[in-house]
Amino acid sequence: MELEQIKAIIGMMKDNDLSEFSMEQDGLKIRIKRGPEGFQQTVTLPPVAPPQSLAAAGAAPASVPAPASPVPPPVATDAKHVVSPMVGTFYRAPAPDAPPYVEEGQEVDPETVVCIIEAMKVMNEIKAEVKGVITEILAENAKPVEFGQKLFAVRVK
Amino acid sequence: MFDKILIANRGEIAVRVIRACRELSIRTLAVYSKVDADSLHVQLADEAICIGDAPSQESYLKIDRIISAAEVGDVEAIHPGYGFLSENAHFAEVCENCNIKFIGPPSSAIRAMGDKVAARETMRKAGVPVVPGSDGPVDNEQDALKIARKIGYPVIVKAAGGGGGRGMRVAHNDPSLVKGYHTARSEAERAFSNSVVYIEKYLESPRHIEFQILADRKGKTLHLGERDCSLQRRHQKLLEESPSPALTNDIRKKMGKAAIKAAEAVRYVNAGTIEFLVDATGEFYFIEMNTRIQVEHPVTEEVTGIDIVKEQIRIAAGEELGYDQKDIQFQKHAVECRINAEDPFNNFQPCPGRIEFLHVPGGHGVRVDTHVYGGYVIPPHYDSMIAKLICYGTDRRVALDRMARALDELIIRGIKTTIPLHKLTLKDPNFRRGRYSTNFIDRLLAASQPLVPPKPQESAPVPVATTE
Repeated sequence: MELEQIKAIIGMMKDNDLSEFSMEQDGLKIRIKRGPEGFQQTVTLPPVAPPQSLAAAGAAPASVPAPASPVPPPVATDAKHVVSPMVGTFYRAPAPDAPPYVEEGQEVDPETVVCIIEAMKVMNEIKAEVKGVITEILAENAKPVEFGQKLFAVRVK
Repeated sequence: MFDKILIANRGEIAVRVIRACRELSIRTLAVYSKVDADSLHVQLADEAICIGDAPSQESYLKIDRIISAAEVGDVEAIHPGYGFLSENAHFAEVCENCNIKFIGPPSSAIRAMGDKVAARETMRKAGVPVVPGSDGPVDNEQDALKIARKIGYPVIVKAAGGGGGRGMRVAHNDPSLVKGYHTARSEAERAFSNSVVYIEKYLESPRHIEFQILADRKGKTLHLGERDCSLQRRHQKLLEESPSPALTNDIRKKMGKAAIKAAEAVRYVNAGTIEFLVDATGEFYFIEMNTRIQVEHPVTEEVTGIDIVKEQIRIAAGEELGYDQKDIQFQKHAVECRINAEDPFNNFQPCPGRIEFLHVPGGHGVRVDTHVYGGYVIPPHYDSMIAKLICYGTDRRVALDRMARALDELIIRGIKTTIPLHKLTLKDPNFRRGRYSTNFIDRLLAASQPLVPPKPQESAPVPVATTE
């Protein structure tokens, strides 16, 4: 499922004041719930198959939409992120010529250092704070990051 | 001149600073909390960096993140706006140490005027009249009683680390002084981490008149006239105008000279405001100095034609003021109404929420400074001021008629605002005659209330962070 399609679904939900949408197709399951803080999405990808694209949003079976009301966020997500706790410059490795702290597919636990964020000449080691596997590196090496910015996508165990 | 500036603030003042920067061809970097991602200042700035969660202590007050953002954004200067870190001497020092220009006075001046007890002493030494009061901090109940009896009731207990109307208690007699003394101290401890208090004579229904100062790095200090800010509620200003209908030219000249003397006494640089209280006989007394740009600066801008924010940036960049006191013209009469997201008929309860519909007035002599737009959601975490409506004209009558007209055109739907209160004020014959003082709003509200006893569980609302 492409990001643009997810955005389109969220847009439709906003426009029609829907609070919940879920869909299943070819092993791809997506559920989007609108809570008091905004939208949360749960995407379950099939283990090996590449992301599937939808033929048309209208062709997919959808569950009956519920009227909008405050809903608590979904209980367990298995896509999590390591987000930046500060403003600074993101570095993947402890030094320019050193190997990166983590790579895609690498297992991490809460104490694993995944990157450095340099702020005001201080190198801050950032820990994963979650147990799982790094699925994507979202920030660019040596580029600035802001508070709350997603650094890594993690598939939680 | 600077190439790029970081604006360490939000809301309408951040928009104001960004506008001045754009006109000076300076690139802008906005910082914002997560809940301000859709805010106008973020949209107008060239770049924006998220610095934290919604609460001010997690974002706009986080010095380390703001400096980090300044470094990451490669800016040369930081404009602190008003409120937040604008009068934080430590923040100004950190900027100085990091080689980033703080657009405001030197940290020494912020410190000198930030300690209200020390400021009084400095003013007294400089020959600026101060409100009769304690010579320094009042350390115990016995001293408080002695001083109060010497000055004569009523008196007001004030926090040395406070200001802007916070941390104050009025007392009319010994028992209420004892109570007020202890309450003020514990409040001050909680709010400012500083329980030092002092005592002043409490002037009944004075006029609150402040003078705008501009000073450059070469030491040239000018005043841009006064603003009458007597229309207040619980020490929060609601409406400001210039010139003050209460001053004669003679008193104005004397106060202007005193304001300059006050600023020079702390070697002030950049924009600042000297606040005075004026009693019924025309005697004026220094109460405090605000070492930053003020909310009501547009009033002075429309009277004098001087862009105060641009002057702040120019002064910080090392430029000298290109004019003298005699060159400053006071051409117009200007009035500003602060539009707050509050219900004036329900104890000014804050009303954050979504603005369903917005229509701002226009036409000759009308200025609107705001960060809100139709569809904008006002977050509950910050102060409730959402817009400033400024009207000006050739004289007071024109300016007030214009303000009444503009208030009728101003539509903000979806939340409650103080617009109805301003309309009532503009209709009041005493206000129209220029006859009002700091108790005016309370009296106006009392007169307009229906005769219904208050609900037993009603309590005063806690204002979300107040700036001035």
